[in-house]
Amino acid sequence: MKSTTYSEKVMDHFRNPRNVGILEGKHVAKGKVGNPVCGDLMEFTIKVKDNRIDDIKFKTFGCGSAVATASMITELAKGKTLEEALKITRKDVADELDGLPPIKMHCSNLAADALRDAINNYQNKQKFKTEAEKDAKGDQKVILGEKEFLNNGVYHEAKNLSRFKEKRTLVVDRGVKSLELALSISQQSPRVVFLTPSKALSADEELKTKIKQSDVKILYESRLLEIMGFNTVEKVKIHDLNEDDEYELFMDAVVIL
Amino acid sequence: MVLKEDIFRMTIYLDYQSSKPVDSRVVEAMLPYFHEKFGNPSALHEIGDEATEVLEKCRQEIAGFINSEKDEILFTSGATESNNLALIGFALRNKAKGKHIIISEIEHISIHNITKLLQRMEFTVSKVPVDQYGRVSLKKIADRITDQTILVSVGYANNEVGTIQPIAEISRLCREKNIAFHTDAVAAEGLLPLDVKKDSIDLMTLSSNDIYGPKGLGVLYIRKGIKINPQIIGGGQERGLRSGTENIPAIVGMAKAAEIIRQEREEEVKRFKAYRDKLIKNVLEKIPRSYLNGHPEERLPNNAHFRFDGIEGESILLSLKDKGISVATGSACSSKTLEPSHTLISLGLLHEEAHGSLEFTLGRFTTEKDIDAALKALPEVVDRLRKLSPLY
Repeated sequence: MKSTTYSEKVMDHFRNPRNVGILEGKHVAKGKVGNPVCGDLMEFTIKVKDNRIDDIKFKTFGCGSAVATASMITELAKGKTLEEALKITRKDVADELDGLPPIKMHCSNLAADALRDAINNYQNKQKFKTEAEKDAKGDQKVILGEKEFLNNGVYHEAKNLSRFKEKRTLVVDRGVKSLELALSISQQSPRVVFLTPSKALSADEELKTKIKQSDVKILYESRLLEIMGFNTVEKVKIHDLNEDDEYELFMDAVVIL
Repeated sequence: MVLKEDIFRMTIYLDYQSSKPVDSRVVEAMLPYFHEKFGNPSALHEIGDEATEVLEKCRQEIAGFINSEKDEILFTSGATESNNLALIGFALRNKAKGKHIIISEIEHISIHNITKLLQRMEFTVSKVPVDQYGRVSLKKIADRITDQTILVSVGYANNEVGTIQPIAEISRLCREKNIAFHTDAVAAEGLLPLDVKKDSIDLMTLSSNDIYGPKGLGVLYIRKGIKINPQIIGGGQERGLRSGTENIPAIVGMAKAAEIIRQEREEEVKRFKAYRDKLIKNVLEKIPRSYLNGHPEERLPNNAHFRFDGIEGESILLSLKDKGISVATGSACSSKTLEPSHTLISLGLLHEEAHGSLEFTLGRFTTEKDIDAALKALPEVVDRLRKLSPLY
């Protein structure tokens, strides 16, 4: 079966997804699973009344089955008690959709997990993870290759911005100064990636807006493990803290203030 | 002839990179060789002689297509076999000279997997990174050359993002250093003028379908003096380098396809370029936070490769499919391995950006109406999916 051969029911939910959006207000909790790195990200908000899911909405970044499973579970969960809703499994969702391609059963069938996350968050009265979540910068480990490539692609300062012209540049989070620097480098370089272990940027609103409007890409919850290359920097290895996964990114320069 | 390309009026096909229809003139040329002229070139009777004659005539036509000599053309079952024969055949024959091979990070998946096999045979393989546009750097190749290097393989143009490589410069460097140079020219075939003499190429992979010929036929050009070991052993056809009875109907088809390209390429490419440029200009203008992947100038005339912030490629592909438009994506979700395209990652793209990519490749039967339909559908699709996305 091709990974994109979907049942009519999957296609129906993909074409006309139910309950898209975000709920706000009292008695609302949020759940989230997945990661844009692996290609699927799902967010649910639930509104609870008398221990029942009174309303539920979702947002999804992902393939056809990611959209369809998220949409389907909102229909399955609405009106159920929290205990009943917790029992909805991945298989239940797939069955309701008349099945999913085997390869998609694991990767894009995250809706049940995301719903459970939302319910757990509600039951633990856990508040939304706020923007100002403290970052875990304190225990930064040694970055392999940092010394080897110093001044051959690794820089501890960036006075000479023209150096980054046409260079794909990674800027490691060292506070507001490094974020401002990423913004300046993006005037020279078509590709600037800002790497932070935090879940959100710690900067004032003005700077955040500027970043959002710029071409600077932010990698949240990520750490730089290793810098690699041949004479000069060619790629870096990144640790995705959320998924506890490692992957490589092709970069020509790294700035560590 | 009933075999017209009318099928293309029913669907909007913008994925010529993955498969091309066989031109009806090619089908017509092939037909007699299935039934009336069915001979085996190895047979010594009249029907066999007729087959030998047409085989050598076709070989001449295809040699002319890349400016090679006739006996430098070897027929195979397709580009994948040609790549296998070029790399494994050359490496095994020449391992006494050295056991180091250089390829680029954005080679076709067959080249990547063949070099994995060679590594298990104790060859060392260096992969040269590309810049943000997908261009291989001559300096980075030169840096990696050692006295053990026997072969460099860099594709003429990339099959996904369409970036054209500085082939003449790379091959000149190899010739100076007495290193053999192989190029997989499948993506460039029929779109760029290919000249193995001018470009100092030692080994070149071609495919029949990529110039609107039948599938199941490929060519390996082997410059005179370059020695390789055969990979398929049998009755000694193709100078003993590739045994097996020659696929005469397909060879006739490819020769006809090459003849058509020789006559029509320039005009055809002019048309592709105009459509491609219209597509690129309008997509980037109409869709906010959309980007062109690959090189802005050094790109194949029929290729437009985009990425869109905040959405995923398979979802875009499915939505366009609903509107009767066929395109391709580098997203993991539509691949067999669930890994994003290694080419897009090599450009320095983040995984989520690679997932959000979309590839248009135009071809012989593309009309301006097709482009207009895509331009109408795409902004609506992107907008709808962005409304669903937590990332946008």
